[in-house]
Amino acid sequence: MAEMQSPQSPGQSVNGELLLLWSLPVMGLLWALAFFTFPGFVQPMSPALTADQVAAFYRDPHNLPRIRYSMIVFNWFGVALIPVLALIAMQMRRMAHHTPILSYCFIGCIAGGPTLFSIATLYWLMAAFRPERSPELIQMFNDMAWVTFTSQVGFLVAQSVFLALAIQLDRQARPIFARWLAPFNLAIAAALVPAAFAALFMDGPFAWNGILSFWLKNLAIALWMVVMGCALGQAIHRQRRERAAAA
Amino acid sequence: MTAALARPVAAAAPATSRLGRIAWNWRHNPKLELWLAWYTILVFYNIFGIVFFVMTRSQPPPKAWWSLPRMVQWFADNEWGLLVGFGIIFAMGAFATASTALITYSIRRMSVSPAFAYTYLILYSLAAVPGMLLTCIALVVGAMRLDRDPALMGSLYDMGFIAFSGTMGIFLVGSVIWAVAILLDTNRIFPRWFGYFNICNALTEVVVATCVIEKSGPFAWDGIISFYVNMVVFGIYTGVFITLLRKMIEREDFTAGSPLSQHRRPHAI
Repeated sequence: MAEMQSPQSPGQSVNGELLLLWSLPVMGLLWALAFFTFPGFVQPMSPALTADQVAAFYRDPHNLPRIRYSMIVFNWFGVALIPVLALIAMQMRRMAHHTPILSYCFIGCIAGGPTLFSIATLYWLMAAFRPERSPELIQMFNDMAWVTFTSQVGFLVAQSVFLALAIQLDRQARPIFARWLAPFNLAIAAALVPAAFAALFMDGPFAWNGILSFWLKNLAIALWMVVMGCALGQAIHRQRRERAAAA
Repeated sequence: MTAALARPVAAAAPATSRLGRIAWNWRHNPKLELWLAWYTILVFYNIFGIVFFVMTRSQPPPKAWWSLPRMVQWFADNEWGLLVGFGIIFAMGAFATASTALITYSIRRMSVSPAFAYTYLILYSLAAVPGMLLTCIALVVGAMRLDRDPALMGSLYDMGFIAFSGTMGIFLVGSVIWAVAILLDTNRIFPRWFGYFNICNALTEVVVATCVIEKSGPFAWDGIISFYVNMVVFGIYTGVFITLLRKMIEREDFTAGSPLSQHRRPHAI
């Protein structure tokens, strides 16, 4: 077990980190744009629609281009969350832990959420590809898209819990992330859990267009990005100041 | 930074009460992070077993040769189990990464290149999506609308079970990577026989390939070869590696002066 070259040895340039960090608000803007473009989100589509109603949604000449363009943007940039998660993993490696195990746990979760979101956009694009297909087939692709998009919260739940543990166990005078971010991450994880059960309900707060499975879940993810984005920015700037002082 | 990290590892003896011991370990046990990961693995595999074998009845799998009405009947018989059980998997299935992370750590402690550890970490980060979640999604979409066209229900049924048994490469290559690391390792983190056992586990992924072709008999996804032999090997394999990981954690030495205590900056491991 040879001593490895520390990735943060003094004097080594970390330029580029800020670029990745500031990609978050830019991407956030694009995600918001795509969100409001997709006609199925602003008034979330009900799972109680019949196959014919779902087919009519995709056949509507006003909807079809908005479905396609919004999903192309989501497919392009949904995975752009990964660089920000990688920056968080870098900060986890600086925490006062005994082992890198929690950062391995976090890294293991990073790809899952964006991958599943990307698969969901493919199902939406498949439903929109040939709207003349039988309504039952369109409904099945629409179901696959919504179930994948709504219920696949597992990686986000696990990565929030692992991050909460990492912050809690970062036992040093000035921890990398503020201590209150540990319970904050646990609260976000808890807010995402109801969406996992969305397929059980055709209406009400748990249905995929409901207040818990749609609004609470998506607002929790947005809030997490804003809060963790700010905390990450502070941590990176502090790291740069410390390095500049040491140089 | 370094000064802040240099906190004492040894501390006063743990209290005698159960709660007191837990509090002491939370505060002072240098292996806490490893134990948290280990217990997460234990909880995950127990819930995984209950959901797949008891709640959803998707293991042992229903027959590949069933007629469409019989498949629809299977969805109807297990409607609530599928929706609730896989909801539980959707909520907590990703905690399986604790297992990936602990095994990655074990490979990092071996005398082999870190490339083995990172290969394992990346392969198994991918594993859950095709190997578990696509299955659950297809079966949940089937169970949520039982009045769907039976032909589509049959497609969802096939998609579910072929994704589950037919996701082979990740586990095949992953087991071989772990096996080679164990066999080359001079630090003896894992016993050599477990390296060979990994090869056994990899071979089951070769044998199972017939399940994407055969619809009945021993080589179908529910058959004696493709399911039962596989499941027995995988079950024993999982039990064994969980035990060996426990033994590894018990052996790890973080006391002052030991080699690991020199590496308290985590990226040194």
